[in-house]
Amino acid sequence: MADRAFSATRLPGFATIAIGAFVMLYLPIITLVTYSFNATNSISDWGGFSWQWYVKAWGNDTVKDATYTSLVIAVSAAGIATIVATLAALGTTRRRAFNGQTFIYVIINQPLMVPEIVTAVALLIVFGVIKQASGYQGLAYLILAHAAFCTPFAYLPIRARLEGMDLSLETAAGDLYASPWQTFRHVTLPLLAPGIMAGAMLAFVISLDDVVITEFVKSGGQDTLSTYMLGQLRRAFTPEVNAISTALLAATVLLLIAFFLLTRNRE
Amino acid sequence: MKNLLTATALLMATTGLTHAEGVLNLYNWGNYTSPELLAKFEAETGIKVTVTDYDSNDVALAKIEAGGAGFDLVVPSHSYVPIWVEKGLIQQLDLTRLPNHGNIAPEWMDVSWDAGRTYTIPWQWGSVGMAVNTSVYSGDINTSAIFLDVPEELKGKINVVPEMTDIVSLAVLYVGGEPCTEDTAVLQKARDVLLAAKPDWISMDYGATERLSNNDWAASVNWNGSTMRARLANSPVAYGYPKEGYTLFMDSVALLSDAQNVDEAYKFLDFIMVPENAAMISSFARYANGISGTAEFMPADMQTAPEVMIPAEFAAAGVFTPTCTGKAQEYMTAIWTELQK
Repeated sequence: MADRAFSATRLPGFATIAIGAFVMLYLPIITLVTYSFNATNSISDWGGFSWQWYVKAWGNDTVKDATYTSLVIAVSAAGIATIVATLAALGTTRRRAFNGQTFIYVIINQPLMVPEIVTAVALLIVFGVIKQASGYQGLAYLILAHAAFCTPFAYLPIRARLEGMDLSLETAAGDLYASPWQTFRHVTLPLLAPGIMAGAMLAFVISLDDVVITEFVKSGGQDTLSTYMLGQLRRAFTPEVNAISTALLAATVLLLIAFFLLTRNRE
Repeated sequence: MKNLLTATALLMATTGLTHAEGVLNLYNWGNYTSPELLAKFEAETGIKVTVTDYDSNDVALAKIEAGGAGFDLVVPSHSYVPIWVEKGLIQQLDLTRLPNHGNIAPEWMDVSWDAGRTYTIPWQWGSVGMAVNTSVYSGDINTSAIFLDVPEELKGKINVVPEMTDIVSLAVLYVGGEPCTEDTAVLQKARDVLLAAKPDWISMDYGATERLSNNDWAASVNWNGSTMRARLANSPVAYGYPKEGYTLFMDSVALLSDAQNVDEAYKFLDFIMVPENAAMISSFARYANGISGTAEFMPADMQTAPEVMIPAEFAAAGVFTPTCTGKAQEYMTAIWTELQK
């Protein structure tokens, strides 16, 4: 009585490819984390266990400033991107199909298609003109730039959630004399919340990661963790960079676990 | 909504920052500025210096050219200085505001990219030479033949740093030409020598400090500062200055034309020409500076380091790669592209 249904797990070589893929994905990360605990100043020669690089990174004011800048930008940009993406997702799903719908999708997702360096150079030129004209050089440029390229990352999970939701609930609310706002507030929004959370977190992580656009848009004193690490490239790398990366990784993993627990209880 | 409010509040808070009294915005290579130096400067003058990093001359140039980046000082490499001057991005210095200008070492005063030092103040300089593990190869290391006609003992064990200008210039010097040459016969020879030697190289990669220290590589074309660190970790590593000619580089500080904190910038420029302070720059990034009388303030391991203090007999062979013409640059790129295949 063989089960004839198609199953990827029964294809020849499945286990080998799966293990291979996991090793390729995680071996570099494991190496990076391991050497962050190195007692010597080498990133490839093991010299015993030590916390010294974490202590060093923690005491490094440049790293602290960069972390703060990264977080301010990521929180603000993710916030803006999520609001924009939620409105865009509602606007493109909760209505009749219309002419130019595909065009709108393309426009929203444009940052996913255009090579990052092109956007970076374009922003460098445009913001350069604005910075000169206005004399303002604050973080707003970076926040706006990040919000723009984070929007599609927030948009996709929110839209997917909206499309997967049962429309009959919203229709029922309308039948029961709920105003459109009440329907949105008490039916659509609560059901959509996990999608919004997922979108916001994705946007946050993408913003935290960004190097190219940040490098071109940043003004004086606006180094983020990513651009700080890039700046170390020409000189000698020490496990301090590993320690910072590991801390960043741990923060991301914690965020994802929190998100997973939150959404699991809700479902 | 809360996020928006936070963002707006933060924006308001940061707006005034760049124009405030007693601040200075330094745009410099990553990990190149001594934190102790900045702390000392702030203690003496009350001026808070903000350092922002870049990792290539081209990015720095592009950002400043776009305008409004809000920096006061920048630290371009020697061959880029004429470009900055020509584009009007850096301004001529008022030497009457720099009483310590005379501390610049005589040999660094009339440099080819800035005669009389009216635009730039020395930051750090170094060279590209041959780092060789002398326990593997004990022959003469003061020659580019180390990587262009690889000795038997080093075959398959030598790395070449992927720096186009330095590597092509070393090869051109080796065959008797001058860097930035447009002489096709010389370039042809340099190309042939490079292509013939390439099969003997293990890689063209960065990270020589590490790999020389742990004996992954027995030799590498490498920077002097990095080689010194490798020697301190692995004593048989030595640094050779090719007698056929080797390349030098110097990064110098310049005052941007659109600098907003000009007074503070002058104070900083004067400050880094005090020997004791220049020595702090060197002891952090491990390269020599261009100020007279700094040796006694340097850490002991640098005062005598043959990588930092070029021995007199090799000094004459050092060459600063000039700002190449477009044509010379094209030839160099063509050779480099072929070498990468």
